[in-house]
Amino acid sequence: MTEDTFRLMGRTISFRAGESIAAALQAVGVLTYGPDALGNETRCFCGIGACQCCLVRVDGIVREACITLARPGMSVEPVERRHA
Amino acid sequence: MRDPDVLVIGGGPAGMSAALEAARSGLAVELVEQRESLGGAIYRQPVEGVPAIPQSAGARGRWEALSRAFSTAAIPVRFGSVFLGVDGHGYVLVEDRQKGLVECLSPRAVVLATGAVEHVHPRPGWQFAGVSTAGGLQVMMKETGTAPRGSVLLAGSGPLLIAVAAQMARLGNPPLAIVESGDPYRRIMPGLGMLGFPKLLAEALGYLRDIHLHRIPWLRGSRLFRIERQGDAFSAVVRTGDGNQSTFVCDRIGLHDGIRPNDYGLPPASSEAMADPVIVRAGDCREALGAIAAEADGRRAGRLVIKGVAASTAGDMEQIDRQRRAQALLSKLFAPLDDRSPLDELADDTLLCRCEGKTVSDLRNLCQRADSLTGREVKHNGRFAMGACQGRFCAANTAALMARFKPEAPAPAAADLTGRRWPVRPVSIGALVRAASQDNDTQ
Repeated sequence: MTEDTFRLMGRTISFRAGESIAAALQAVGVLTYGPDALGNETRCFCGIGACQCCLVRVDGIVREACITLARPGMSVEPVERRHA
Repeated sequence: MRDPDVLVIGGGPAGMSAALEAARSGLAVELVEQRESLGGAIYRQPVEGVPAIPQSAGARGRWEALSRAFSTAAIPVRFGSVFLGVDGHGYVLVEDRQKGLVECLSPRAVVLATGAVEHVHPRPGWQFAGVSTAGGLQVMMKETGTAPRGSVLLAGSGPLLIAVAAQMARLGNPPLAIVESGDPYRRIMPGLGMLGFPKLLAEALGYLRDIHLHRIPWLRGSRLFRIERQGDAFSAVVRTGDGNQSTFVCDRIGLHDGIRPNDYGLPPASSEAMADPVIVRAGDCREALGAIAAEADGRRAGRLVIKGVAASTAGDMEQIDRQRRAQALLSKLFAPLDDRSPLDELADDTLLCRCEGKTVSDLRNLCQRADSLTGREVKHNGRFAMGACQGRFCAANTAALMARFKPEAPAPAAADLTGRRWPVRPVSIGALVRAASQDNDTQ
């Protein structure tokens, strides 16, 4: 099995080829991906790209974590950038 | 590159069989799929090196036959691409997410096969991370070959819950319990009716056998009506059939209250063969009847595309009618024992619209205004069904609750809230602007 990694908010996440971002994160126990525009936690809900609850920024672009393939070296950040 | 004659949206059983049928007549067909693999939710494929999760022999056989025929036909697939809609000029807008590019295509026909979404009743706490749909847990199991970790509670209604429970058990982590609002054991007539569908019955009995073997409590006639955070875990409050309350402490919760067509915002099906492009719906997005009907409906749609909207599709209709009878029996079998609507007992601060954070009391306030608001006005004034999911998980619940708040007004439909326009999926303005400027260059 091939193993590779991407970055989630500075953390290194391993994934298997063909796995979605949400599946890779679930495997390491990550169920929320930072806040959405309302400050609610983003999370996987429907698993089929319909509910938009799992939005993340993949290399800066908003994508659904449940249908977007994990790729080596990608950067995954919360959909909303919070200003401290 | 020449635009295809037929563009099929969605790579599940309906879309694949529609594409196959249309391609058989020599038309140039392309299929658009949002993920990087075919199968849809029902036949979601495992990642490399992971064995497929145990499924019924029937489902396995159907997928093997369909995927074999599809590879043989060598129909081009646009993977990682999403359908945005059909614009006013009849261009079909598809975003290639790998390239970050929106393409404007001019096929002669479009087959929409976007599948189903699960229906989930709102409950206090259903918005927490760790609470998902039961189908969401299931597709993740199909993809990864592993059950969700920790203690998991399944709740809602319908045969999908027992399927998910059995699959979790086979993968080594049976759920704590299944909270089921119906009680199939008490529904004698629909139960007998299922004898006319031996394959479905055998599949259900297989699941129940696993549930029994693993001693998973199947709490029939029960409702999960509140979810609270308790440290890193949840406490889930369940009212059982005898009127008692019990609390489950768990790590994950899977909710499911049925399925419905994923037809939100889709353009209407064409009523005449001269439409440009001809638009046909196929499978669960037309009528949610499951995988067997979806495949037959895909063939029907493929034939419509070839011969025009009046083509004879009698053979496929028989199969679809049969599945409709099966689904009608199943809903009777799993009808809730308590006939009070779960919407009637929601606390004021329960979220209805997850995207925009709108609650039961927000809706009640809107409905109490002197000027009676329509579904559309509730969307525009109250932001219900306005958010990123475009009402997929709130419009039906909001419409049903509006009807309960205002019983004297005409009952709104989910579609009154959502409306029908593109883009049906969020797309970056940059990608749209690039598409528009390319379009100008070619004119």
